[in-house]
Amino acid sequence: MNGWLTAAAALLAGGVGPTLWGVATGPVRRRVVAQNTATLLVCLATLLLAQGYERSSYVDVALVLAVLGPAGTLVYARLLAEDLRAAPPTGRAGTWAAVVLTPLVVVPLCVAAGPGRAALKLLLIGALLVAGNMVAARALRGAGRTDREGAGPAEAARG
Amino acid sequence: MDDVLIVITLLLVAASATAAVAVRDPVRQALVLSLLGLTLAALFTVLQAPDVALSQLAVGTALTPLLLTLAVRKVHRRPHTRDDGRGGETTGSTGTTGNAAAEERGE
Repeated sequence: MNGWLTAAAALLAGGVGPTLWGVATGPVRRRVVAQNTATLLVCLATLLLAQGYERSSYVDVALVLAVLGPAGTLVYARLLAEDLRAAPPTGRAGTWAAVVLTPLVVVPLCVAAGPGRAALKLLLIGALLVAGNMVAARALRGAGRTDREGAGPAEAARG
Repeated sequence: MDDVLIVITLLLVAASATAAVAVRDPVRQALVLSLLGLTLAALFTVLQAPDVALSQLAVGTALTPLLLTLAVRKVHRRPHTRDDGRGGETTGSTGTTGNAAAEERGE
């Protein structure tokens, strides 16, 4: 078990465990934010696992998750708009986790991979993660502010 | 030593599955269910099955919760739409469905 796998295990145990508690208890706004953070953490853990097992094809799982995770959160922002409007998410802990954790994981992985196509793919996944999390967090906050019931996350984010 | 990873992900899967059962409100259950999909995908990756993890991600984290929340929304909206002249015989049954869902939600 090398350092990458140890880091992945720590991320899964220390990160996904608490988000599980956040998703299972508390108000809806905290549950949605915790679910979004869980997608981020599992994606980063998958990247670390790919490097730890030295199988570059495992990175595809993280790429798919980086695309699907924020999309799922946007779906929740749209469908749970009524609950979120009653009590919109206030804190920005999820966004900060994305901005701080993603470079912490992606940059060492890029250094380990060396310059080339693999490093570009890792950087793309990192950029997708940060951008997706910021868009999702904005949509969640905006879903609480909008007055119209049918407003989508994109319109809510603009408003 | 790789067993540690397997044990951690297995524990996470067991905990999220238990939480999915313990949470009673269907909408909140959908959120826990998507987390269960995530942890299952991590477990499959740890067990060296990334292809299964990919399909689990697509189905477990996106499609199943989406279908669940859409269905719950539909059921909750039924009582409001019965006034627009489409009701007829089904009004009674949809009304009770809506009430049952509302009771379950209020728990």
